[in-house]
Amino acid sequence: MAVVLKVLLILALVVVGLFILTFTVYIFNLDMKLTALIEPWLLKHYDKIERDTHL
Amino acid sequence: MAKEIGADRLGDFYKDGGKVRKRREWRGLRDTMYDYSRWLVIMGTLAKFVMKPRNVKAMFRYRWMANYLAVPMMVDRHTQGLRGEYLRMCHTEQDLIIDDVAKLLDNLFRGDRRIGNDREFSKKVVLVDENEMTAVMMGFPTLKGLSRETPSTYVSVLLNQHAAEHYIDLAQQFGLAGDVCPMPEAELGVSIDDDAPVLGACAIQCNTTCDGSLLGNGVISRRLEQEDGIPVFQLAAPLRHREDDVQEYAAQEIRNAIAFIEKHTGEKWDWKHYFECARRVNVATECRQEWLEMNRTPYPQVFGSNLALYTETNYMAICGKIPEFEKADRKLTELARQAFAKKKMAAKEYRHRAIIWGVQSHYYMDFLVWLLNCWGIVPLTDMLSMVSTRRIAEEDTPENREQAIYDMAWLTENMIMRNRTHGGYRVLLDELWEFTQQFNADMVILWEHMSCKALDGMHGLFEDRARELGINLVWVSHDLFDPRIISRQGVRDQINNYMRSVMREEPLDPSLEVLHDEESW
Repeated sequence: MAVVLKVLLILALVVVGLFILTFTVYIFNLDMKLTALIEPWLLKHYDKIERDTHL
Repeated sequence: MAKEIGADRLGDFYKDGGKVRKRREWRGLRDTMYDYSRWLVIMGTLAKFVMKPRNVKAMFRYRWMANYLAVPMMVDRHTQGLRGEYLRMCHTEQDLIIDDVAKLLDNLFRGDRRIGNDREFSKKVVLVDENEMTAVMMGFPTLKGLSRETPSTYVSVLLNQHAAEHYIDLAQQFGLAGDVCPMPEAELGVSIDDDAPVLGACAIQCNTTCDGSLLGNGVISRRLEQEDGIPVFQLAAPLRHREDDVQEYAAQEIRNAIAFIEKHTGEKWDWKHYFECARRVNVATECRQEWLEMNRTPYPQVFGSNLALYTETNYMAICGKIPEFEKADRKLTELARQAFAKKKMAAKEYRHRAIIWGVQSHYYMDFLVWLLNCWGIVPLTDMLSMVSTRRIAEEDTPENREQAIYDMAWLTENMIMRNRTHGGYRVLLDELWEFTQQFNADMVILWEHMSCKALDGMHGLFEDRARELGINLVWVSHDLFDPRIISRQGVRDQINNYMRSVMREEPLDPSLEVLHDEESW
């Protein structure tokens, strides 16, 4: 019984921890702030790709 | 941070010159948790997409894929200020569209010769235009009708206002005119830049509406046919679509298109599947009509971008082929009925009832939400949502098989935009004033897409009639895909100036009047 309770407690802590983490990312828009940093790097990468550019 | 509609200063979420917003809205516990749960679902959709190595490869190959970094922000832009049923309607639509676009991208990259190179799959793909009614695919359940232009240009500009600039500039560097519509010009730029996935057994292009579209399609089809070996059919639907004497020609074009697809894919037209799709088209039409009926009352429910974005997707790109959209139609109708019964409103005050006419700015699709939140102007319906309401044959009988050809022709002629910008004086001008009366509107917001020659020359005619009827007519100029010509603030200023100088009103939310979002996605 004690083992089951311990597992349930750990599971509850994990769920609460994940909720706090993801909700913080959500409410402070951290996902978009991170991807906004990635975009300029990606655009530089696209400029370097060899392309068969023509009409 | 408020539960009540209209209690927040929504402009405070913007950071001057920033690409993204400072934080997301607190909408009260229930609505915030709902929005958060939908954000998790969107993150799940994106995670599922990037788990496939070929999609990651595509991310590093195609420039327009960078715009998909902004998917969650697009949803935030359209849900701004929404609560209760309106928030749920928006997520029902947007989350489904995101899922549908993710599947479209996945399929494109699966067949793409540069990425997945699944040859057997590619033989079952028919490429279609972005701005094309996909009715001719309703009887081919084993084929995939995929549009390359939808994710590369159309959706990209919804995600990121600057998405098309690179491609527009490239097309002009190659000598194409700068005064054609930037949408087909950007699509052509993608082709010139060798930035379109290459796949498919054949392609169907459509004479959409304009000089830019014909120009772009001509060059794109040359590359498809002569370099990629993908045969292209030109589906030339009549422009005078209200005339009886063009219908037989339109029907023959449909027969020819179906025969072309059968020839190049080896598949046969399936009437059972066609009529199942036709039934779903009728469900979508019935639901849309019910929403529009509600919008004629003092308590409109499915309106603004909730109506516009969904109709564009469901009517033209889906066209009864995807069962999930029928479920969404019914869910949206249920939410609308609930809110209507409770006489709910999406903003704290409705000051003006507006019909939005003309072709809207793609780089500022959330303008309709802004109109509501900033000035209390309710966008009851828009030109692109006023599409065919005719029921099509849905029972499989010998007579209906012949009628179905005419129904597909009718839908193709009446695809979004071309059913109003072409077809004569009545569909563009006269019917607008009929709608203003039916919807009890006191205002018309008239988009002036400056590169759209279909609407040039009508300016004075609109003004004369609005004056006669006592309707407040507000012109809003824009350049569809190019915010460098008229910025989002330039769009807003045209409304701000009218509301202050002509209407002598103060905004509902002054924080939204001037926003420094030039660099924003």
